[in-house]
Amino acid sequence: MSAVVVNNLNYRYQKGGKQILKDLNFTMEQGQIVAVLGLSGSGKSTLCLCLGGIIPHYLGGQMSGQVLINGQDTAKCKIARLAPEVGIVFQDADTQLFSPTVEDEIAFAPENLCLPSEQIRHRVDAVIDMVGINHLRYENTNNLSGGQKHLVAMASVLTLDPSILVLDEVLAQLDAAVKKNVTEILLELRRRGKTIVIVEHELEAATIANRVLLLEDGLLVNDGPASLLQDKELLARHKLLVN
Amino acid sequence: MAFMELLQVSFSYRGQKQLLNDINFSIHNEGITALTGPNGIGKTTLSKLMVGMLVPTTGHITLKGQDISGMTLAQIGRLVGYVFQNPEKQLFCPTVSEEISFGLQNLELPEHDVQRLVKENLPYFELEHLAQSFPLQLSEGEKRRLAIAAVLVLEPELLVLDEPTTGLDAYRKHLLGECLKKIVASERGVFMISHDNNFINRYASRILILENGRLKEHGC
Repeated sequence: MSAVVVNNLNYRYQKGGKQILKDLNFTMEQGQIVAVLGLSGSGKSTLCLCLGGIIPHYLGGQMSGQVLINGQDTAKCKIARLAPEVGIVFQDADTQLFSPTVEDEIAFAPENLCLPSEQIRHRVDAVIDMVGINHLRYENTNNLSGGQKHLVAMASVLTLDPSILVLDEVLAQLDAAVKKNVTEILLELRRRGKTIVIVEHELEAATIANRVLLLEDGLLVNDGPASLLQDKELLARHKLLVN
Repeated sequence: MAFMELLQVSFSYRGQKQLLNDINFSIHNEGITALTGPNGIGKTTLSKLMVGMLVPTTGHITLKGQDISGMTLAQIGRLVGYVFQNPEKQLFCPTVSEEISFGLQNLELPEHDVQRLVKENLPYFELEHLAQSFPLQLSEGEKRRLAIAAVLVLEPELLVLDEPTTGLDAYRKHLLGECLKKIVASERGVFMISHDNNFINRYASRILILENGRLKEHGC
């Protein structure tokens, strides 16, 4: 069974509004890192929201087609059931942080699953250690820098141990050392069989992917191996590379 | 006289350890100055001090020779434009066009001048097709372009940008870079915070690095 199946996916935020996603069809297998590239406004973040079930459950709009996550239809499955399967780190980390401290934020999801407190503690410790944010553990989430917020948001998602991880421009706000650390974490997660979707504008950051999806104005215009990132002519044609 | 000067500026958030320690530097309203450094080191805090949103724990900041502690945010804002790291924090109008015209109307420009400037800026930032769209429904890159356009249209003498390339694709980064060059050519200055080394190396004329609460010039 494929980790992600997208069948004839179309989406508009409002009835009669601009069509953001246009008849997308693709699958993702377990253990793949897939980079989604495209200009601003090409539908990358909207696709992420569809993968997590936020579309159609929270944002409504006009969706047709189907998104299957580990065989479950996101439109028919409650978002609470999808959350442990797909973890999304949003482009704007402010939208997903709400707890008073970093530790509370990371513990929130496993607490909601009513896991035993010992297990919650163990998960929180392991994730804080993995992401390298021990020094932020008792900080107020409002006082964090943009890059730190992304790390905390990522940790709070990883604590549910989702089989599919979706990162919407997370690497862009990280300094070089932290970016390297996060890249290593992603490679380790792939070794553990996780499926990872990364949306990036930085072509360098996308090189850890083994597959590239290229969106243009809501259409999937290219679906190929990571070697696409070496095709300068193709990237320039789609304005993803400018001399 | 420097356009802006930071003199022995230190800062700590209440009840927390000192984040910035004895920062001294001056900038002129010319060239592109980039500030870089690790996450959480205080870059955004420093930029907020520069525009009066935060007040130094010790030290002074002057703007055209005047201590900004004696200036209102509106007075500072007429000289220094600020684009937040998260553009959503500064978008609040019902349409993209109104977002760009808001500041101009506050300056009490004649309405025909306001509309002319909006019309000139919409295509430059490739926002023309979104003129009547609700800003908070734009993509992240579009929001950032709009936030920059709304500040830039006011023609501040110094433009402070916090992570301006985040959310921008390569093509829009190129447009932004060229736009910054135009700003500099019109005898104004740019101060930008960025982790984007390629962008910094391509466009910045001066690079400052913030580490462990202290500032140093690249190459010094």
